[in-house]
Amino acid sequence: MSVPARNVERVRSLPLADPGTPPLTGPVAYLLWQARRQWGILTVGVLLGILMFSCQAALPYVTGYAIDSGLAHGFDSDLWRAAGALAVLGVISAAASAIGHRYDVENWLRASFAASQLVGHRVARSGHTITAELPTGEVVSAVANDALRIGEIFHTAARFIGSIVAYGIAAFVMLRTSVPLGLIVVLGLPTVTICIAALVKPLQRRQVAQREASGRLTTLGSDTVSGLRILRGIGGEGVFTARYREQSQLVRRKGEAVAVTQSWLDALQVLLPGAFVVVLIWYGAHLAVAGEITPGQLVQAYGFAAFLAWPVQQMTYTVQSATRAHVGAGKVLNVLRVVPATGARPGTQAPPPPGVPLVDETSGVTVRPGLVSALVSADPDESAAIATRMGRFDDEAEVATPVRLGGVLLADLDKQVVRERILLAEATPHLFSGTLASELDVHGPGDAERLLRAIALADAHDVLDSVPDGLAGEMPEKGRSLSGGQRQRVALARALLLDPEILLLVEPTSAVDAHTEARIAARLAGERHGRATLVVTASPLVLDHVDEVQLLVDGRVVATGTHAELLARQDAHGAAYRRVVERHLDDETPPQGVPAVVTRPVDVTGDDPIADEAFDALLDGQPAGTHETRGGRP
Amino acid sequence: MKLPIADAATVRAYAVHLLRAHRRPLTGIAVLHTFAAVLGLAGPWLLGRLVDAVADGTTTGYVNSLVALGAGAVLGQTVLTRFAQRSSMLFGEMVFADLREEFIETVTSLPLSTVERAGTGDLVARTTNDVNKLQNAVRFGVPRVIVAIVTITLTVVACVVLSPLVAIAMFVGVPVMLVVVRWYLRRATPAYLRESAAYATLNGTITESVEGARTVDALRMGPRREARVEDDLREAFDAERVTLNLRTALFPGVDFAFTAAPVAVLLWGGWLVSQGHVTLGVVATIVLYTYQVSGPVWDLIFWLDEIQVAGTSLARIVGIRLVEPDREAREGTPTDEDVSARSLRYAYREGHDVLHGIDLDLRSGERLAVVGPSGAGKSTLGRMLAGIHPPTGGTVSVGGVPLVDLPLEELRGHVALVTQEHHVFVGTVADNLRLADPDASQEALRRALEAVDAWGWVAALPEALATEIGSGGAPLTPAQAQQIALARLVLLDPHTLVLDEATSLLDPRAARHLERSLNGVLAGRTVVAIAHRLHTAHDADRVAVVDGGLITEIGPHDELVAAGGDYAALWRSWQHES
Repeated sequence: MSVPARNVERVRSLPLADPGTPPLTGPVAYLLWQARRQWGILTVGVLLGILMFSCQAALPYVTGYAIDSGLAHGFDSDLWRAAGALAVLGVISAAASAIGHRYDVENWLRASFAASQLVGHRVARSGHTITAELPTGEVVSAVANDALRIGEIFHTAARFIGSIVAYGIAAFVMLRTSVPLGLIVVLGLPTVTICIAALVKPLQRRQVAQREASGRLTTLGSDTVSGLRILRGIGGEGVFTARYREQSQLVRRKGEAVAVTQSWLDALQVLLPGAFVVVLIWYGAHLAVAGEITPGQLVQAYGFAAFLAWPVQQMTYTVQSATRAHVGAGKVLNVLRVVPATGARPGTQAPPPPGVPLVDETSGVTVRPGLVSALVSADPDESAAIATRMGRFDDEAEVATPVRLGGVLLADLDKQVVRERILLAEATPHLFSGTLASELDVHGPGDAERLLRAIALADAHDVLDSVPDGLAGEMPEKGRSLSGGQRQRVALARALLLDPEILLLVEPTSAVDAHTEARIAARLAGERHGRATLVVTASPLVLDHVDEVQLLVDGRVVATGTHAELLARQDAHGAAYRRVVERHLDDETPPQGVPAVVTRPVDVTGDDPIADEAFDALLDGQPAGTHETRGGRP
Repeated sequence: MKLPIADAATVRAYAVHLLRAHRRPLTGIAVLHTFAAVLGLAGPWLLGRLVDAVADGTTTGYVNSLVALGAGAVLGQTVLTRFAQRSSMLFGEMVFADLREEFIETVTSLPLSTVERAGTGDLVARTTNDVNKLQNAVRFGVPRVIVAIVTITLTVVACVVLSPLVAIAMFVGVPVMLVVVRWYLRRATPAYLRESAAYATLNGTITESVEGARTVDALRMGPRREARVEDDLREAFDAERVTLNLRTALFPGVDFAFTAAPVAVLLWGGWLVSQGHVTLGVVATIVLYTYQVSGPVWDLIFWLDEIQVAGTSLARIVGIRLVEPDREAREGTPTDEDVSARSLRYAYREGHDVLHGIDLDLRSGERLAVVGPSGAGKSTLGRMLAGIHPPTGGTVSVGGVPLVDLPLEELRGHVALVTQEHHVFVGTVADNLRLADPDASQEALRRALEAVDAWGWVAALPEALATEIGSGGAPLTPAQAQQIALARLVLLDPHTLVLDEATSLLDPRAARHLERSLNGVLAGRTVVAIAHRLHTAHDADRVAVVDGGLITEIGPHDELVAAGGDYAALWRSWQHES
């Protein structure tokens, strides 16, 4: 960079360590708060803006003076002085413009980064409440658009104030030269601007129509491409390109409507200022002929008229960006006002000592210290819900279903304590982009030995192999390219690495194939041996390895024992247990040849065991050798 | 697999080809803008004449006629501008519409294997982001560049015509400006791309934090997520600082030229006036021209910058055209419907075979379950058997003809791959179904829906088959979406189906429906099911155990159990435990 070092240094490194605590009362209060936080650079920016615009405003004046002096005295020291003044003004203006631009950008970045930071922090701490209260798109837009709009007003502030000053200087000079000429310039230009602004309305309407049509076209395009595998697999490309073409031509027509209006507006932008200048010159020339003003002053008037269009534009632009900033601040505040569902208040009770049981009072489900237990239910949603509240995820909703850790209500503990001691690993865990090492070992040192051990435990070698640089590599496509089973195994490794005092696992192997599940089940029980663990599952491969199984019927624990004991029980509970865990080999087939309804927990990631079961079950029910009556074929 | 991106030469050739193809409208537009720009030069020229006239003493009549001339020029320029702008923007709309339509056509005819392996993310990004980024450059940028170039050229010409002697002085700052602008434009594109990439990363981080909010909470990842936002902002700041530094050099460089020009013209012109070579009016005109030309010059720099950045989007759009077809249809008609694989090999990367020579004969109408550990090559085998990828060694054929030699339309009638992916397209139910058979009658659609047990709910939709579904239309449950996908298969009617993780989002109550639906599709077809659950294997006609890219065991369940291999071991442990 061939930029003077001092300029580079002047921009303070962003983001700031602390974005501050803004008032949440309203957009105006927020914007003023932000302005106070950066008043120093804002002031410097404004001063430079004033300096730059003042220099620019002086250029027509000096040019006129130069013409007059050249006319009067020919090539002499006056002309030199005028030219020198022009050069000095130009240099000052250029310097003020370049340095001022740096301040403007810093003002912009400071304000918009602070907003992004505040949103980022709120999102990181709000838990699932944020998704419940605001659509994801709106939260992302708060950073992608609204934060930038907030920044914009701080960026334009300097030029806005500079423009006002420039306008004042021009008005003063012109009125001193000739009051009527001055009035034409001072009043004429805003009138022209207002006329043009009024004409912008119909243009904006058509632009909105064009953007809507164009948005639909984009949707159509991304719809076609998202389903491209299907299109290429079964056909229909022609239909889709024809549809796209049709909408594309509609967008083109809407765009043409914009173009026609826009061309009128462009023409008027020639006509109105042009007419204004013609009137000005006509009047000025007559004054000059009458000797009331000098030819140089005529040139000045022309120069001012041409120059002033710029500050007037700046002022219009600032009004628009202020409106946008106000709206943007409102949207950012919507995110900042989200209150997390858990732990909004600090804890009131001291944490119990380690090695105490975790009890869900409503159902009787108990996670005993030192035991690996499983929770089995005919309704997998029910058992998952119990495990979830044992991890405390919604203070208000969980008031009716108290959970106690060593006798202390979870809700009375500090949230941080609860999260450190109890870890809930849900069936639909989210994997984050980043290197495999850092995303697996969330709170640990991320050393290879630890990681490889966890990967081995969760049988996730294949994932490691699929990442080009191994542990240090980024998961491809943010883990989206992983299959449901792979994702589940990575998440399991991550949960095991956290090594919590109490681990609650919901369906950790639902999307994993039988070979792998058998291996994971044995290793998981070994790894958590002697540690309080609860696994929500119905898989016999897992159940056979746990210390104790709790059977849930209608929301209550009705029987507890080992897998073998429960299987062997000859009462109603034994039958209920067998129904849940032995469904795989169940011969009971409904009259229409469809196997018994399959009940497996729902995995909402898309890698759903149920559908798998359904396909598989169907294959069971389908006798072979019926190809003579192939369905759907003539 | 990454989709190709065109290199600079290809992009340039494409742009030139595009401009060539529209040479005539472009010429017309340039002519209109030229006339408009000529009239736009009238103001300063008239002012110069007035200065001279006033200095020499004149009549109000002469002044009036000059001003009337100016008024005429303004009117003329108004009319010309209107038509010039109109035709250039209409031109932009036309070119852009052609470009995006051609792009979609190219995308939808991409080879099967490319689509299957590249993932949809990149393609969707090219279809949405890149096409949209190009929009401004084509619709407005190209016309504005034409105007700017014409205006700058004409202003310079006017100065030279007025007085070549005086005009020389206005170029005094130009060499500096050219050097600075060139320096800037060379560095600007990567810098601005880095900037937009940084903001895209930031938005991605926020999206992830929101979507994974529960996991963030459960795993105490809040501080990590905050740190990630901070890292992204730091990168955005560094990127901003680079572009800011570029502009910090650009602005004074250009400003210098526009400061030096009037000063030089005044001094040099003043001296020439004192020597009687030119009039003061001419000098005044040229000074005003130097002020006036700064607008179009800034405009030109701005749009060159934008067009350069848009060029990278164009490179990604043109890049799609570089994908080679993965197969060529040849002669040959399958003699029967038996699918077989011979010494089948496949490598995603050269030298890393995933399949190591598989031989397999599917018996017409049989159910074959494919089991094996993750990463053993089950899915790859499935895609080979469905003709998605041309094998890197060996063949998969139907009735003696290699699958990849069949025209795509014909291949689709033989084998279909059913994956976990299902997509409801924007359009009516009928539109969604007719993909598989554009000529299907209403009756055929109804039968297909009945076969998958979906006619009940479709008939109950507000407009039945004509109901709009997909994004923005009537919402479908995942089960219904899957049924639509299955009804398409019924219409497509292949004799062989490959099911790979054909799973979907279904609640237990919907599962029974799906079973019936599948019944309607699988009945009477040869089915290869890549299975997760052992009971599937138990009831299939044959079981193939795939391990390490080879079929290690194949045969009916009972035989494999009796043989005492890997499968038998797994089966015993499973049975023992349940």
